[in-house]
Amino acid sequence: MNQLCSSTERRGTRLSTLLGLIVLVALLLQACAAPAAAPTQSGAAVATESAAAAPAGAPVSGGTLRYGRYADSLFLDPVLNDANLDIWVLNSLYDTLLQSTLDGQGIEPMLAEKYEMSADGLAMTLTLRPEIKFADGSPITPDDVKWSLDRARNPDNGIWTFSLESVDSVETLGDNQVVLKLKRPDPALPAALAMFNSAIMPQKLFEAMPGATDEEKATAFQEKIVGSGPFMLKEWQRGNFMLLERNPYYWAKDENGMQLPYLDAVRFEIIPEDATRILKLQGGEIDGAEFIPLSRAAELKADPNLKMELFPSTKVNSILVNNRSTLTDGSANPLSDVRVRQALNHATDKDALIQVVTYGAGTPEGSFMSASTPLYAAQAMYPYDVEKAKTLLKDAGFEQGFDVSVLAIAGSADDSALLTALQQMWAAVGVNLKIELVDAATRTARYRANDFQMRTSAWTNDINDPSQITSYFAIFKTVESLHTGFQDAELEQLFDDSQKELDPAKRAEQYKRIQEIYAAAAPIIFLYETPYPVALRSNVNGFYQIPLGQNLFSKAYLAK
Amino acid sequence: MNRWNYILMRLLQAFFTFFIIMFLVFMLIRLLPGDPASAILGDRATEADVARINAKLGLDKPLPEQFAIFVGNFFHGELGDSISFKIPVMRLIWQRVPVTIFLATYAAVLAVLIAVPLAFVAALRRGSAVDNAIRAVFQVGLSLPTFFVGLVLLTVLGAQLGLFPIGGYGTTFGQHLYYLFLPALTLGFNLAAVLMRNLRAAIIEVLTAEYVDFARAKGLRNRVVLSKHVLRNALISTVTLLGLNVGALLGGAVITETVFAIPGVGRLMVEAIYGRDYAVIQALTLTFAIMVFAAFLITDLVYAQLDPRVEMA
Repeated sequence: MNQLCSSTERRGTRLSTLLGLIVLVALLLQACAAPAAAPTQSGAAVATESAAAAPAGAPVSGGTLRYGRYADSLFLDPVLNDANLDIWVLNSLYDTLLQSTLDGQGIEPMLAEKYEMSADGLAMTLTLRPEIKFADGSPITPDDVKWSLDRARNPDNGIWTFSLESVDSVETLGDNQVVLKLKRPDPALPAALAMFNSAIMPQKLFEAMPGATDEEKATAFQEKIVGSGPFMLKEWQRGNFMLLERNPYYWAKDENGMQLPYLDAVRFEIIPEDATRILKLQGGEIDGAEFIPLSRAAELKADPNLKMELFPSTKVNSILVNNRSTLTDGSANPLSDVRVRQALNHATDKDALIQVVTYGAGTPEGSFMSASTPLYAAQAMYPYDVEKAKTLLKDAGFEQGFDVSVLAIAGSADDSALLTALQQMWAAVGVNLKIELVDAATRTARYRANDFQMRTSAWTNDINDPSQITSYFAIFKTVESLHTGFQDAELEQLFDDSQKELDPAKRAEQYKRIQEIYAAAAPIIFLYETPYPVALRSNVNGFYQIPLGQNLFSKAYLAK
Repeated sequence: MNRWNYILMRLLQAFFTFFIIMFLVFMLIRLLPGDPASAILGDRATEADVARINAKLGLDKPLPEQFAIFVGNFFHGELGDSISFKIPVMRLIWQRVPVTIFLATYAAVLAVLIAVPLAFVAALRRGSAVDNAIRAVFQVGLSLPTFFVGLVLLTVLGAQLGLFPIGGYGTTFGQHLYYLFLPALTLGFNLAAVLMRNLRAAIIEVLTAEYVDFARAKGLRNRVVLSKHVLRNALISTVTLLGLNVGALLGGAVITETVFAIPGVGRLMVEAIYGRDYAVIQALTLTFAIMVFAAFLITDLVYAQLDPRVEMA
């Protein structure tokens, strides 16, 4: 029998019933969820009145900025952390003695209002600002500064201790000064005191934490952070969200004397999927989103409700090349010949790559370090010249070309786009590029064992000084020149000299020569620099991501 | 045997299975290329840094010794600390397991709510346009990847029509229901398709059974016949299917949790594997094993409830 039971609805209205049911369910559920965050609905197509014309007038105090991140922080300790995910958030919780200028070229005062270097360059005296306090109202004293810096330079404490390696001892002087005695003159010391690991932490509160080791105390302190920065950690549900609230004792005011930070709170929401993060931003559920895929930058730029920012960065993208004469499996490595590496650089059309991979947002590299790094010196580099490439390969004995493999991250759209383009470009000179897809941890393990021929790589600086990137890229004893095996005696001597050279002009000369040598030796395939792509709602003003990558929220505000 | 003895016996069998699973996972993840130190420190790691971290984590000891230490700790209730987050694994999981359970249960409930009425309609109108339409829609849905369906729902119902929030979890129970509706729908849709087909076939078969004719001959109203006799019998195989698919639901939760930014354990598992966070991987494997075991057990109990002929042996 074909009868259904006693309901009145019959055939033919199933679909509309289903749709009606969904809308009904939505409204019902919305009612259940009523009290708290009902999302502001503004589809991408609808322009909101005030947002589009938000004047950058007087800053407004108050409000919570909701910021979408692609992954959560792991360990919020200035000294013991290992990841950008932590570094780029720590500056909201902790201040340092000095800070980077917005363009990344210089250093200016922060918790210390001035600093002086002795004539022989072996002592630096810093004077603390008056009346500076931690987030619980207790005063920041020279003892806290000494303890924080001693902790940061203790070689057992994490991977960033190199920045303060030149410091022999830290002493307090009076009730507002600290003196650093150095083993050697250190031109990078001001930059080191602006680096995240030199954050000023409260000694007594930290040491009162349970635990026997520094790491155990740091783990406990993470839950009850009392910092010296513009915000305090109010709540953290890992993988879900992090809530920072204004530090009422923060020292800084803006040019008009208004107390900073402007915002009441910053809420980080973790949204790993790029498409979802962008949808939430377009829907007004968050006010800012980081790591926008460059393929969507143009679309978001055209949206009247959004601001698409491309902040200048220190991010350099290159292909690391194994320069050794044999690979780990014993086979001969054609890439050990400098002419081969130069040929591959000539065979790479960087402008085309910039269009294909970065959608025009990138700029060609002029050196192994980014243009925003202090003491950057642009080199001649390798213009796109297929004929020159072929000649160089012929001179090196590879007229017929050769096979080469590259390690790439499976699932990375950028790696994919970049390497397939390179495959085509290099095929024109007879080089057959084979792409090996692995996951990140596998690639790191093989790379550290020097079991690779080529790999994609991106680097951002952690300090406003060229010494860090140079020691990693060009100095063998650090990490074998990023595992390329590159080594040059003249370069290493120049580097050692530059580490003690206090005359800025002389140091600039040394770095110019270092970059010349590196460019000529072409240990890597030079590609391009890319900016930090952040999209914000139009009413968000004053947010800035500095070239080192730190997110500055202290001057951010939500215009009405 | 009575119900409690049965549950106890199942638990004992489960412990044995769990032990084997733990052993296999323990060994397998340590045999994978890459290690936690590499994953944490990334490309800038110096050999000294890596050696230091490996020594601290006890990863430089021989494998059998590591397993023995792990088992020892386990029986003291210590599952260790997350290598990435440096907080106790249990705390990390405790916060996130309820989220995934909520999502998976919600998905299963929605799947049943969708599948049962539509299966009835399709079965009772077998061969008609309605039946074909229903089956076609589900066929298409089955072929679409979860990821895609999720994003489409988010874009249309979330961003453009503004009916639902875009991702997230909410704080109150009511909010959970609201925020998780789209993800649960995405996750449950494939399951609904499978259930619908199975239930439809079962209903068709049952409709021709003798006891249904008998019930009708007795004069029972159609509604009673359908609910008490047809549905209950047809549900048996569907309940089994539902239970067996819990594993698939948990697997699908991984993708759904990523697309919809839900802080559950599916996503945590993937992140832990990429990050070679051995402690979290081990603890989560055990958690999943327990969840699947619980689902199988409940399925069997419900099955016995539905069909009095079944004995628990």
